[in-house]
This record gives sequence, C-alpha cells and structure tokens, in this order.
Amino acid sequence: MQEDRGTQVLNYIALVWTVARKDLVLELRTLERLIAMGAFAVLIGVLFQFSIDTSLIRVQTIAPSLIWMTTVFAGILGLGRTYIIENENKALAGVLQSPVALDVIYLGKVVSNFILLLSVVTLILIVFSLFFNLSFPIEIKGWLSLAGVFSLGVLCFVSIMTLLSAVAVNNTMGESIIPVLVFPLLVPVMIHAVTATNRIFANRPFVEIEGNLRMLVAMVLIFLMLGASLFRFAIED
Amino acid sequence: MTSRLEAKGLVRRFSRLRAVDGITFDLQAGELLTIFGPNGAGKTTLLNILAGVMCPDEGQVLLDGNVVVGSERQWRKEFGLVTHQTMLYDRLTAVENLSFYSKLFNLEDSERRIWDAMEDLEVKEVANQPVGSLSRGFQQRIALARALLHDPKILLLDEPYIGLDLYASRLLRDLINQLKDGERTVVLVTHNFGQGLELADRIAIQVSGQFIFTGSSDGVELTEFEEFYCRKIEELRS
Amino acid sequence: MNNEKAKKVSLFFGVLGVATVLLLHYMVFFWVPTESSMGIVQRIFYIHVPSWWVAFIAFGAVALCSGVYLWLGDDRLDAAAVTAAEGGMIFTSIGLLTGPLWGKIAWGAWWTWEPRLTLALLLWFIYLGYFLVRRSTLNPERGKRLAAVVGIIGVLDIPLIHVSVSWLRSLHPEAVVLNPDGPTLDGSMLATLMVGLLAYTLIFISLFTMRYTTEVLDRATRVQST
Repeated sequence: MQEDRGTQVLNYIALVWTVARKDLVLELRTLERLIAMGAFAVLIGVLFQFSIDTSLIRVQTIAPSLIWMTTVFAGILGLGRTYIIENENKALAGVLQSPVALDVIYLGKVVSNFILLLSVVTLILIVFSLFFNLSFPIEIKGWLSLAGVFSLGVLCFVSIMTLLSAVAVNNTMGESIIPVLVFPLLVPVMIHAVTATNRIFANRPFVEIEGNLRMLVAMVLIFLMLGASLFRFAIED
Repeated sequence: MTSRLEAKGLVRRFSRLRAVDGITFDLQAGELLTIFGPNGAGKTTLLNILAGVMCPDEGQVLLDGNVVVGSERQWRKEFGLVTHQTMLYDRLTAVENLSFYSKLFNLEDSERRIWDAMEDLEVKEVANQPVGSLSRGFQQRIALARALLHDPKILLLDEPYIGLDLYASRLLRDLINQLKDGERTVVLVTHNFGQGLELADRIAIQVSGQFIFTGSSDGVELTEFEEFYCRKIEELRS
Repeated sequence: MNNEKAKKVSLFFGVLGVATVLLLHYMVFFWVPTESSMGIVQRIFYIHVPSWWVAFIAFGAVALCSGVYLWLGDDRLDAAAVTAAEGGMIFTSIGLLTGPLWGKIAWGAWWTWEPRLTLALLLWFIYLGYFLVRRSTLNPERGKRLAAVVGIIGVLDIPLIHVSVSWLRSLHPEAVVLNPDGPTLDGSMLATLMVGLLAYTLIFISLFTMRYTTEVLDRATRVQST
C-alpha cells in the first residue's frame, strides 16, 4: 500500500512536469513572453531612472520596491497570457477531454510560469543593479536569503496569477480584468517580500528576515492549495 | 442488454439559448450514430458534453450503465473526440503532441502506440514537423491519431471531413468503417450526407437543441433522405 | 420562502431597523457624551464601525455561500452570495466614505494606511472584481462559478491582508497616535455602538431578504422564458 502511494505521488509529479515541460518547450520555441517581459523590465528601469530625482532620493533605499513593482508588472504582462496558447485550436478542450486531474494542469502551469518569471527576475536584478548601482549581499547567507525571498515571493504571485488568469481568459474583459483581481491579493505578499528584500540589501541579520520568510511560506501554501482546489471551477465549462 | 452509451435528458443553456434541449438516445457497442442538422443546432455542444469537455446543466451520460459524473475524470479515457479544431499545439511536432497526450492518458508502451497510430493514418512522413506548418488534411489525421491513441470505446467525430481532400476523406471513411467493425461505438456529426448515411447504423436530425428525428439507416436512400431533411427543416421554420 | 412571506419578513426587519436607526441617531446626537480627545467628530464612529461590521458579515456570507454553491450547485446559494455581495459593497462604501471624514478632522489626514481602512479599500476592489467577472462572462452559469472563485479567494485573503498590514504599521508608529480600537469606550458609548451594530444588522437583513427574493424570482422568470 505504501509503495502504491509512493508510485502515485511520483506519477502525479511526473504529470505536473509533463504539463510544465510542454509550456516551457512552447515558450522556448517562440520566446514571445520572455522577450516581452524582459524588454519591459529593462525599459521600466529606464523610466524609473528618469522619473526619480536622485538628488532628493537615494535610489538604493527604494530599489527593492522598484524591483518588486517591476516583477509584478512584468508578470501581469507575461503571465496574463498563460491560457492564450491553449485557446489556439482549442487545445484546452483536448486537455479537458483527458482523464488528468485538473489540479495537475494548474500545478504544471504554476511550475512553468514560476520558471519563466524567475528568469525575468534574474534579469531585473542584474539590470537594476547596473542602473541604480545596487550593492548585493556579501555573505552566502545573504544570497541564499535573497534567493529564498524572490523564489517564495514569485511563487506566491504565480500561484495567484495562474488561477486568476484562468478566470480572466473566459471573460469578455480578458486580460484587462487581471490587475483588478490580482493586486488586492498581492498586498500581503508585497509587504513581506519588499520588507525582507530591504533588510537583505541592508545586510540585516537573518533573524530579522525569518518572520517575513515564514509568512511567505505560509502564503505560498495557502495560495497553492486554494488554486489547486478552485482551478477546476475556473477552467471547466 | 445494457447500452454502451446512453444520454438521458441532456440540457445545456447558454444565457437564454438552449443549445441542447432534452436529448435522449442510446447506442449499443459497435453502432454508429450519424447526427445531421443545420448550423447552430447544438451538435457540437452535444458532443462536447458526451466527451466531458462541457458539463450539462441537466441530464446524465451513462457508459455501460454507469453514470459518468463531473468530478470523476477517469471515465474520459473511454472517449475520444475529434472536432473541426484540431486540439493540437501548432508549435509542437506531431510526435510531441501525441507524446504529450499519451502521458495525459497515462498510456503504457506509448512510443509503439504513437508510431502505429501515425502509420495507420499515413502521417509518419510529417512526424517531426510542427503541426502548424502542415496542411489541414495532415492536421486532421494527427488529430484523429490523438483521439485513437488511448483506444477509446466511444469515438466522437464532429464534422471531421471539413477541409479534407478526396484522398484524406476516403482514408477517414475507411478508418471509421474499420473502427465500427470492432466493439467501438461512434457518434458522427457531419454535413456530408453521403458519407454520413453510408457509415451510419442509426441516424438523427438535430435542430434547435432537440432530436426531431431518429431512426435506423437501413434502406434509407440518399436523395430521399436529403429531401426528407429539407422538408423537416422547412416545416420547423414556417 | 415565498414572496408574501419574504415581504413580511423584510418589512418586519425593515421597520425594526429604521426604528433602531432613529434610536441610534437620537443617542448619537442627544445622549452619548462627547469623546474627550477627538471631540464631536468622533460621533461618526457610531456609523463607521457598524457599517464595517455589516460589510464583514456580508463578505463572510459571500464566501460561505460561494463555497457551498460550488460544492452543491444550488442556484439559490449563488443568489444569496450575489445579494450579500451587493450589501457588502454598499456598507463598505459607507465605511470608506465615513472613515476619511472622521480622519481629516480627527487626525488631520484624509487617509491613513491604518490596517482596517486598508483592508476595507482592498475588500472593495476584490468585490469590484467579483461583480466584473460575473457581468463580463458570456455564459451566465460560468460567470457565477468564476465569481464564486473570486469571492472565496478574496475573503480568504482578508486575514493575510490584516495580519500583514498590522505588522507593517507596527513598525511605523503614526505621528498622531491612533488607537486601532477607536477611543476607549465608556458604558454609554458602548451602548450606543451596540445599538448601531443592531440597527445596521437589521437594515441589512431587511434589504437582503427583499433583494434575495427578487433575485430568485428574476432567475425563475428568465428560466421560464427560455
């Protein structure tokens, strides 16, 4: 019985990866979303540079906020199109016609969107460090904390976006409704992600970041569970 | 004897429109039902409900006497669906598309099944080309390969002849005949009266969500049936 | 509940509610003492807090009815959810309008990022999203399900928002010290507040009953005409 359960879990993970891999292969063949999100991230950095009076404000103090705002806007731009590819040739109908559990589809898309957005976040960090002369953590612990905060924050965001994009795709307002649905839910994520990032850049001790990380972990679990449970109501007709 | 496929009182609404309005029928194993009807009759909606792509607002679908319900998904592996949309990813190759679906259906020996299906449908030569770059005929054949990969008991074909040339149409007709001779049950929606009647064991005419005629295809002549169909449509419109 | 019974129930609660509101206004303007630190403007508190109280009850009802609707598929639950959401939006709007009126005079600022104001603002937008999703889906049945998803996820985000914003505010004390529970209440103030909570709850029940009945009737009429 225990082996059966173990095999079931492995099969489940394999199916999630099948869905994620399909999305990633499709994206790599065109690079449409990656290019759009990447270009957006760089250009927003340029706009920030010219819209902030650096004689009055020390940009390094607000850089974490700018980085997270850019991540959110780039995510809305790119991840809002998660299901557009499924509407080509009604491919989604083919998936719905299969026996695969719908939470597998949801988690597969969360994984592919997470990888996509995390790649863009890496670009954002590089670009913003160049544009705004940011100094990154010195110790390994700082880098690990930074990786942890961005991974968890992006995962929270992606789990909300993947569910609500499914709501938006079946809507006459389309992608324009996504910010109305997503932004209120993102507030707690932003509070903890930005605060933790600020503290990491300020080389604060880990004990000051731990609470934020715990909250982000809790939010990841809540949003993923909610998303996996509610996804079928968003996607089924 | 328990029917292979049964629909009981299926209803599906879109706003004020009843796209499927109380449809009931049953089919035995190996039977082929051809559904004719004008555009907007709800034929596609009916097939989508049978395949589990859409949920009915009322009514039930039974497979071998067992009600197939919304949240249980395993029963979908007994159904294969082909529509005029291919349900394939344009930027994946034929092999990649079929491989993806074989994993969703958790098929064993998937590589052999994929190559056998492509051989049966004569699409091996385009196996490694992106589906979006292929002709309509090849796309539809790959879509059929996708629907048959998991060896479903019930095959639902929604206007599969659209865009097919004569050779591909004949290939499809021969394939459907082969499928019928086994235990497979087929529901075919088509505007092609000749092919539809030739293949059918049972025929139905669907208008405004309802079956206005059902019967056996035995002894039904093409011209006679076409006139009967047109008369029925005119009666309803007047 | 049939229409006649619903009318009677709604009328009963409506009359009771209006009477209690009149009592509330009497107490607010003529009976309750003026709060010592904020002065006369503090009396908005007796409108402001009850409106939030009702808004939270309403949104709780939205989440509960939406969850059970998705589970059971009973259309009456969706009718209850949308009725509660409408009430919730109205009372949240009252809270959002009265808060700044109070804040400008009491604290010198139209708006502060105080946890409950922030929560109310976000909640208003979550429920704006609920109505937008509902209205802009071509298939109404699907619109109900999508709105239910938004309703559930919105309400479940409330504790996350509240905890996070409260934590953030605790790091940044206001220049003017705010007591998040409002002024310390003495007996008469507490009594006035309780009357306010009762009055608004009765009004909400009355409005909900009538609106729910018309919603169910409207749906039945639409189904018959298809």
